[in-house]
Amino acid sequence: MTSNNKPILEVTGLKVGIEGTSILKGIDLSIPKGEIHAIMGRNGSGKTTTANVIMGHPAYEVEEGQLLLDGENLQDMEPWERAREGVFLSFQYPQSIPGLQVGNFLRKSVSSVRGEESSRGSDFRNKLRDAMEELDIPKSFLSRYVNDGFSGGEKKRFEILQLMLLQPRLAVLDETDSGLDIDGIRTVAKGINSVVRGTENGALIITHYSRILEHVNPDRVHIMIGGKIVASGDSSLANLLEDNGYDWLEEQIAEGVVFE
Amino acid sequence: MDSASQYLSTEMPDRADHLWRYTPWKRIHPTGNTKEIPTDVTSPLIGLVTIDGSPLPPGIVLKEGVSKSDGLPVEEEITKSFLEAVTEEAKYTLSVDPKFRSKVPIVLEIETVGSLCSAHICLEIGKLAELELVTVVRGDCEWFGLLRTGSTGEGALASDIVVNLLNEGRLLRIESISIPRNSQFKAGTVSSGSSMTKADLRYRMFQPGGSLNVLGSILSAGEMSLDHHIEIYHDSPETFSRLDWNSACGGKSKTVGTGMLRISKGSNGADAAQLFQNLLLSGNAQADSIPELEVSEHEVVGCGHGTASGPVDEDQMFYLESRGMSPSESRSALIAAFLNSTLSEMGGDLMHGWLVSELDSDLSELGD
Repeated sequence: MTSNNKPILEVTGLKVGIEGTSILKGIDLSIPKGEIHAIMGRNGSGKTTTANVIMGHPAYEVEEGQLLLDGENLQDMEPWERAREGVFLSFQYPQSIPGLQVGNFLRKSVSSVRGEESSRGSDFRNKLRDAMEELDIPKSFLSRYVNDGFSGGEKKRFEILQLMLLQPRLAVLDETDSGLDIDGIRTVAKGINSVVRGTENGALIITHYSRILEHVNPDRVHIMIGGKIVASGDSSLANLLEDNGYDWLEEQIAEGVVFE
Repeated sequence: MDSASQYLSTEMPDRADHLWRYTPWKRIHPTGNTKEIPTDVTSPLIGLVTIDGSPLPPGIVLKEGVSKSDGLPVEEEITKSFLEAVTEEAKYTLSVDPKFRSKVPIVLEIETVGSLCSAHICLEIGKLAELELVTVVRGDCEWFGLLRTGSTGEGALASDIVVNLLNEGRLLRIESISIPRNSQFKAGTVSSGSSMTKADLRYRMFQPGGSLNVLGSILSAGEMSLDHHIEIYHDSPETFSRLDWNSACGGKSKTVGTGMLRISKGSNGADAAQLFQNLLLSGNAQADSIPELEVSEHEVVGCGHGTASGPVDEDQMFYLESRGMSPSESRSALIAAFLNSTLSEMGGDLMHGWLVSELDSDLSELGD
């Protein structure tokens, strides 16, 4: 992949609906290479829809707008094609798949996204071992079934393990921090930083809380209300929001204050 | 009275019977003429090997003839007497010594011969034996009748898996196994062959402490019609049973799973549950699951049953596709996972790996 100045993710005028109900009402978002952005917002503001639409969830209908990955149109691609192009979604509620062993699943995923060679041999085994050690995941995990009987924290660590093995160009993390204790949040943040910082990759973190952002230190924070990004700023915006709340932010915007 | 006379003097079963509702006796009888006992039924080729080709350990042997086992469940007279009559020349006993141990699973290979073929296998598993046994049925016959009877030993630990890999044809499989005191028995069925199957599988725990796991991994495709009936008898205190039956149904196939769980008076402390799950892979596939209970004892630990049928889960598909797997790869992986959740419980890693490799090509076809 040759380097260029195009953002790793460019979202323009994105309007999305599901079963006739409009959810995203015009999203503009640009994530330059090497940057981590965060989206914060209340429940129902459209955060998870944004994540799912970037990954290509078939239930959502893109009514208007454009989604570009490093200049390439994502909308013409199926979810698996997007994954192979380097898009990764860490799910808020990862699916459990009884009968599918974690080890086999990881090998298949890495083979699909990074090529069969990457899923074989000592190189893969070493990367897997190192990532599991970093995330404090025991070896016995590999023989369990995907997300079957996992605790909330285990599910989130498993998503980050996949992130570290797949090394995506764009990682979208949908509330990966929710339900994690502080050690878990630190570990997850370390995983995200290791994939993005100092690379040409990018990440979009969707969260309710500013705590994970203290460990990731995002380049930009966006606030979403009612299917729109209503405010953007540096990481201090997350603290401002945490101190004053969404009602205050809405009042500020109503009074004409612009956050950008 | 010999078996043939017994069969001919028995009243033909009524289709209203629970057992015969889906596959009437006439359809699974080798000629369709239920008054007839065909004389041209051949014996299969039978061999005993280890799963990895290593020499058979001492203490296990296949010998001619069968013996009577204690504590067998109530049997369906029609099919039992019929199969006993047509297996006169093909009766074998798999004899396992007390305290038998093997590092590798044992495979009983059955290769059918001719158009109509049948065998009666009797299991004689000794006290405190530990055994993983796979009985594999292969071949091109038009009809195969398999009668399996026998008993595990007290305190034995056995996995007994029957794998149906017949190319076409019809399979009539009748099983009648007793489980004595403190014996733990896993009875597995893996089926991806034969165009029609009628199986009547019965297990009876007749002494305290018996434990039974019945597991099914069933693949049906094309126009297959697979009918498995499983009866579990708790006839003693402190007995345990679980039935987990997973069927993946594609094409225009029809799959039926019926369960009958009987807990007799005096079987206090019995703990039983049944779950039938069907994965529907096409709009034309049919799957029926009917678990039934007959509980005559109040003091039971548990006694439940359930069924679930549905297509491949869209959210699971999206999860796998988000990891780069194409729709057909994702679908295949989900079908394999569904069947594997019962397959993986049937035995240790060696047996599991072997079963997966045997089913691999059939699984790929179902995923398409």
